[in-house]
Amino acid sequence: MASCSSCCQHVATPGVGGFAAASRRETRAAGVQVVGAGRLQLKKGAVCGEELFRGQSLQGLQRRVRRSGGSVAVSANALAAQLQEERAEKPSEARVILEVQGLRAVVADTRQEILNGVDLVIREGEVHAIMGKNGSGKSTLSKVLVGHPDYEVTGGTAMFKGENLFDKEPEERSHCGLFLSFQSPVEIPGVSNMDFLRMACNARRKARSLEELGPLEFYGFVAEKLGALNMDPKFLDRNVNEGFSGGEKKRNEILQLSVLEADMAILDEIDSGLDIDALRDVATAVVGLKKENNAILMITHYQRLLDYITPTYVHIMEEGRIVKTGDMSLASQLEAGGYNAVQNLIAKN
Amino acid sequence: MAMAVAAVGAAVAMAGTLRQSAVAPLRVKAVVPAVRFRGAVKLGVGTRASVAGAVKAEESGSGSGSLRDQAEASFSLSKDVAGPDFFILDLAEKLENSVEAEQQGETLGSRALANLRDRSAEKALNSRWPTSKDEAYRFTDVRFLKNLDISPTPTHSVATPDFASGLGLDETETFRLVFVDGVISESLSKVDGLADGAYVGSICKISAENAGSSLSQALEHLGKPAAGTQDDLFTFLNGLGVQDAGVIFAPEGVHIAKPIHVVYYSTGRGGSKHGEEGGTAISLASPRLLVVAETGARVEIIEQFVGAPDQTYWTNTVCEIHIADGAEVSHSCSQEQDRGSVHIKQTQVSQGEKSTYKLVEAEIGGRLSRHNLQVIQLGPETQTEFSTFSLSSQRQVQDLHSRLVLNHPRGISRQLHKCIVTHRSGQAVFDGNVKVNRYAQQTDAGQLSRSLLLAQGATVNVKPNLQIIADDVKCTHGAAISDLEEDQLFYFQARGIDALTARSALVFSFAADVLQSLGNDSLQKRLEGLVKSSLASDGVVNPNVPVGL
Repeated sequence: MASCSSCCQHVATPGVGGFAAASRRETRAAGVQVVGAGRLQLKKGAVCGEELFRGQSLQGLQRRVRRSGGSVAVSANALAAQLQEERAEKPSEARVILEVQGLRAVVADTRQEILNGVDLVIREGEVHAIMGKNGSGKSTLSKVLVGHPDYEVTGGTAMFKGENLFDKEPEERSHCGLFLSFQSPVEIPGVSNMDFLRMACNARRKARSLEELGPLEFYGFVAEKLGALNMDPKFLDRNVNEGFSGGEKKRNEILQLSVLEADMAILDEIDSGLDIDALRDVATAVVGLKKENNAILMITHYQRLLDYITPTYVHIMEEGRIVKTGDMSLASQLEAGGYNAVQNLIAKN
Repeated sequence: MAMAVAAVGAAVAMAGTLRQSAVAPLRVKAVVPAVRFRGAVKLGVGTRASVAGAVKAEESGSGSGSLRDQAEASFSLSKDVAGPDFFILDLAEKLENSVEAEQQGETLGSRALANLRDRSAEKALNSRWPTSKDEAYRFTDVRFLKNLDISPTPTHSVATPDFASGLGLDETETFRLVFVDGVISESLSKVDGLADGAYVGSICKISAENAGSSLSQALEHLGKPAAGTQDDLFTFLNGLGVQDAGVIFAPEGVHIAKPIHVVYYSTGRGGSKHGEEGGTAISLASPRLLVVAETGARVEIIEQFVGAPDQTYWTNTVCEIHIADGAEVSHSCSQEQDRGSVHIKQTQVSQGEKSTYKLVEAEIGGRLSRHNLQVIQLGPETQTEFSTFSLSSQRQVQDLHSRLVLNHPRGISRQLHKCIVTHRSGQAVFDGNVKVNRYAQQTDAGQLSRSLLLAQGATVNVKPNLQIIADDVKCTHGAAISDLEEDQLFYFQARGIDALTARSALVFSFAADVLQSLGNDSLQKRLEGLVKSSLASDGVVNPNVPVGL
């Protein structure tokens, strides 16, 4: 538990970064009882532990902590690792873009719990990758963040650039600069890409009190984006995703990302269904959009994508929680030994 | 004179059928349940046994045409043994009188037309006005026509209305054939520059001297649809009242360079003004089109139905299309008549081996718009595509009854039907029948029907039905009656587009999906505009949403 305690010190140290600051804010908030188990365990040993428990059923918490078992400690380790690295590599001035705490969510229809206390902090300039088995909740996390109606948030918070995401409608989240590249984008017959992109672009411009672009101005704007992404202008005349190949759909998502100039892109399996060349093209396009003041959260199964877009952090998700955080080496371990190897590693710790 | 003939014809016909039912009452009884059975099977995807049974009934009928005629005549009389339908008798008389003596000329074409009138008269008088008890009219009320004062539109030449500029199609990019009240207007039609041997124009202008043997043979098809085509009273009424018919003929191997734009304009002369107090007069026009594409020929037809604004008229039209082996007919149809008008249309298509027929249709006008579309396959490896859209607003009934009969192997068919109902007094009806008979092995048939109801109390009656006898086929069908798709709405929202704008875009795109299949850009733009303004006036889309156009 040595690493755990070191972590706790970071947490307790004021002004280490957005993370600690945010946890203090959280402490004061009424929604403490929904903070995830992993996080609670992390703080339990901390100096400020008692303060955290204020206003909450201690028994309930302990029950939850017991239930979550060994992986809780690992989660604490993971966060510790993240924090340590942050201190080493990133001085505290990088602003937090997204901060997710203890996020829990259920399927709206069946009430089945999918997310079970997700903690995640993403700062400007960072690239995060989430890996994990099928059904571990990766895609759900991305959909919950953008407000998909199939899921219901039952606990936790998600702050995006200092504002509560869950107070906002999906379109407002987009206006703030949050973007999700869908795993399988839906086809919209009858609406041309051009019209769709212009509507989306103008909606965001309007929200930012910028003048809306007319058809001609927009064409100039989008032509430049197309050029940068090395895409054929004929793309614009086609209906949104209708009859697109897997690669074309993903490229189209990246085009939308580029047109919306989002601050944070969640790329849900942007590599699925792509051949080797298409993957390289899409990844290159994403890297081209990467800036100092934006961030990327990738969900993927394969290291290949990470070879193109090098992540700052790699998270492993299991049963609706992030159970381990590391760097690229974690992805290599996964690639070599599969999830069992990583699980063994977790168990050892 | 004409009146007397009609009366005599009626008497003979009635006596004939009555005698049959009297002499052989057993046969009537035997036949009636069989016919009813056929109707019942179509209601759903029946069990295999019942479907097979239905076909047996069908086969025994098609084995001898006359027997089946008798059966159906008897059936039609079973509830109405009291005598002929006097309403039809009266209407038939008016239609017969409306054909002017000078139109009964002596050209080859005129004789074919006169022949058609004779045959149709007999069949019409043996029919009965459809009611909701007839399966084909179960959801569609045509009884109100009986309360109207129907009179054939007088065709005495009056000043030709100037509507050509408002059609939205550039006259240089098409050949143009214009009907005004069912009669071809020579002055408005433009068919210069047709390929050698091809013909586009009035049937009455075809004479034995100027027509080649192939064109003369093509006229044989007039009023003789392929075996298996179902009869309809309105087909006969058209045949009875037809004054002129358009002929589009593409000889063997000829690709007609430009689309042929067929315009049907109804002036509504003699009809009441739309919305007029106590106005029950409706003016009836009976245009007819015969299309014959010989082996390997290629033709593109654009039919556009328009009419004088605010007039009450009924366009009862028939379009017969015969596609020989390896020929290709692409057919677009735009029905944009006045909201007070009645539009009844039969499209009867026969397809030879390896031929292609594609139909894209938009039905947005009319108080009642009924389209019976029948395609009969005459050889293997045919391709058939229907993409149809209808829009029902306030007090509008849009009805499509489509029927595709596959008798030969390896046919491919695709059907997409979409309808939007935007008002609680609006109704859409779709009956889509695909029949895959015993020898139609390796058929690949797909059918999809989607209906969008945008108002409380709006009605849609959808009856997709596949009847499959062959055992090695790929057939799919789907029918969805719904609001917009959640996934699509969310996709818009995830891109920052608010739910209301997204709904507008999606409603419009629901229609645009079909309209985009129209081969002609000008027509597509025109229809998109019409659909958008209609949707906007019903308040279901925001006209400022920048989609389409």
